[in-house]
Amino acid sequence: MAKFSINPIVKKQIQKILYSLTGKLLLTIGIIMLAGSALFWVFLIRYQETELIRNSVKYGQSFVSFVEKSTRYGMLTFQQPSIQHTVEALGSSEGVVRLRIYDSKGKIAYSSKKEEQGTVLTKDDPVCKNCHGQVAKQADLPTWSIKKDIEGYRHLNILHPIYNESSCYTSACHVHRKDEKILGFIESDISLSLFDKAIQKQESAITAYFIIFIVILSGVLWTVLWRLVSKPLRVLNDGMQRAASGDLDFKLKIETRDEIGELAKAFNAMTVDLSKAKKQIIEWGNILEKKVAENTQEIRTAQAKLIHSEKLASLGRMAAGVAHEINSPLTGIITFGHLLQEKFSEGTQERDDIDVIIEQANRCSIIIKGLLGFARSASMDKTLVNLNDVVNSVLNMIRHKADFLNIKIYLHFSEPVLPVNVDSSQLHQVFLNIIINAADAMEGKGTLTINSRKVKEDDALYAEIEFADTGHGITAENMQKIFEPFFTTKPVGKGTGLGLAVSHGIIQEHGGKITVKTDPGKGTSFFIRLPLYREKS
Amino acid sequence: MSEKTKRLLVIDDEDIVLLSCRRALSPQGYEVKAVNSGEQALSLLEKEEFDVVMTDLKMPDMDGIELLRRIKAQWPEIEVIIITGYQTVETASDARKLGAFDYIEKPFTPAQIIAVTERASRRRMKHSGTRNTKKQ
Repeated sequence: MAKFSINPIVKKQIQKILYSLTGKLLLTIGIIMLAGSALFWVFLIRYQETELIRNSVKYGQSFVSFVEKSTRYGMLTFQQPSIQHTVEALGSSEGVVRLRIYDSKGKIAYSSKKEEQGTVLTKDDPVCKNCHGQVAKQADLPTWSIKKDIEGYRHLNILHPIYNESSCYTSACHVHRKDEKILGFIESDISLSLFDKAIQKQESAITAYFIIFIVILSGVLWTVLWRLVSKPLRVLNDGMQRAASGDLDFKLKIETRDEIGELAKAFNAMTVDLSKAKKQIIEWGNILEKKVAENTQEIRTAQAKLIHSEKLASLGRMAAGVAHEINSPLTGIITFGHLLQEKFSEGTQERDDIDVIIEQANRCSIIIKGLLGFARSASMDKTLVNLNDVVNSVLNMIRHKADFLNIKIYLHFSEPVLPVNVDSSQLHQVFLNIIINAADAMEGKGTLTINSRKVKEDDALYAEIEFADTGHGITAENMQKIFEPFFTTKPVGKGTGLGLAVSHGIIQEHGGKITVKTDPGKGTSFFIRLPLYREKS
Repeated sequence: MSEKTKRLLVIDDEDIVLLSCRRALSPQGYEVKAVNSGEQALSLLEKEEFDVVMTDLKMPDMDGIELLRRIKAQWPEIEVIIITGYQTVETASDARKLGAFDYIEKPFTPAQIIAVTERASRRRMKHSGTRNTKKQ
């Protein structure tokens, strides 16, 4: 047996429609409409039928009553052919299938079908069974029943009793006695085929009307639901998918005032918020990235500084160790040199040789003092001084020295007093180092400008002093090394390469900073910053 | 110079420093004794009398400051000179507060060491009376 199967694509399409909101609504409304219509239809048909039967019975009884009245004279005068003639005439009326008159014994006395005349019906005959089949209580009443013919159309069967009257038993024919109650029956079969046909027609018309009505209604509902629900929902769904894929600038164009319009508005507001949030996140990400890069750079710089200062510190420790060890043998060389020196009078070769030994030993001693200064112990004798005074005292010391005779020195103190808590002798040493370096860079000729001022950095106040010379400047290559110990550009024997290294250490220990700006060929500026002393309130 | 021989004790862990002191000061009429450690110095001080003690600041066992304290506690009349490197000048100046006569920086010349020793011994002579009084 071949199995009935639906094309899977069609099946899917049907399922889609049934599961859709429109499909569900339509199905629900359709079922309600169908049920309502069916109920209405059944009720209407029932009512019509009841009315029809009621009217038909009334008509049938009138007809039978009419037959009784029409044959009354013939009965009283016992004119049998006339009665038969009347029955035949009336029985041929439209819709009358059969018209019979029975006597009280069940014999057909007259009939619209002449051949039936004289036939006696038994009590089992369907006509007699109407009354005799049941309890014979209604035998004396006019009765009716409905039967179907071979074609399926209904017949209304009316059975009307003929009661005995005085004119019946007193008539000249003397057929009936006075004690008889019922003299016979008039029976008529009336066809209801016309009504049945009309009802059938009506049923078809109503059914057709409902089908058309439901189809039109479904179409209208479908269109309305499509426009109001399905289409906006589809647009909303598309919008959500676009938003989910990241297109947050997309706007829904639904401008209805219903719930879907509200939903679209809320959706648009949501995408705006999401877009803002997304932008902010990206911005934050960028800021974070920048911060991380900045921090990384800071860490690298700090690391480089740390490595540099570690390098300087270990160099310092080594220098101190070496210097300390050398001090004692140097004491021996100098002492015995002097003792030997006394043994030779001036001008002799031996005396000159010994003088060279002593001179060089003294030079060693100076170098070692420099080394030990670089690696000096941390103890400081801090006092509150005016930074300008320290500068002045250094200048007073060097001003008249030969190296400074051709150097113009300009002083500019923007604040009369710059209080700093420092070891003034150490600071003295720093300023002296820088000024001597400046003089060397200018080769004894040029301008040295010294400025002091108050500066603010990261909410902290500093006293800053600037030494600007017009010397040969520092090359970019040398700039990296100027604070390293033993680095010098001065001729052998003139510089130990420790001055700036020592100065750097001293300023750092004072919580300050030493920086350099140089323009090779034009000059160099050294900036020294020290924390400004502030009285604790 | 005084007619009495001035007795000097030098303490340094470096022999060359001791030798330098001896060679510079002996011709000046000082009787110079030299030892390498504070412990040796203290045991020698128990046995012999000295006018001036000259000690290095940095030594392995007992440092110059500790030795100074001990000497000043037991023999307050003895003048103590501190020998120092540049690095420890600050400590040396602190030592003066503890009773040291003066300090001298290494490397020194014979003239420098003679000068400071002379000054110390002169003061020692001044106070020698006090010491004698104490002993009586």
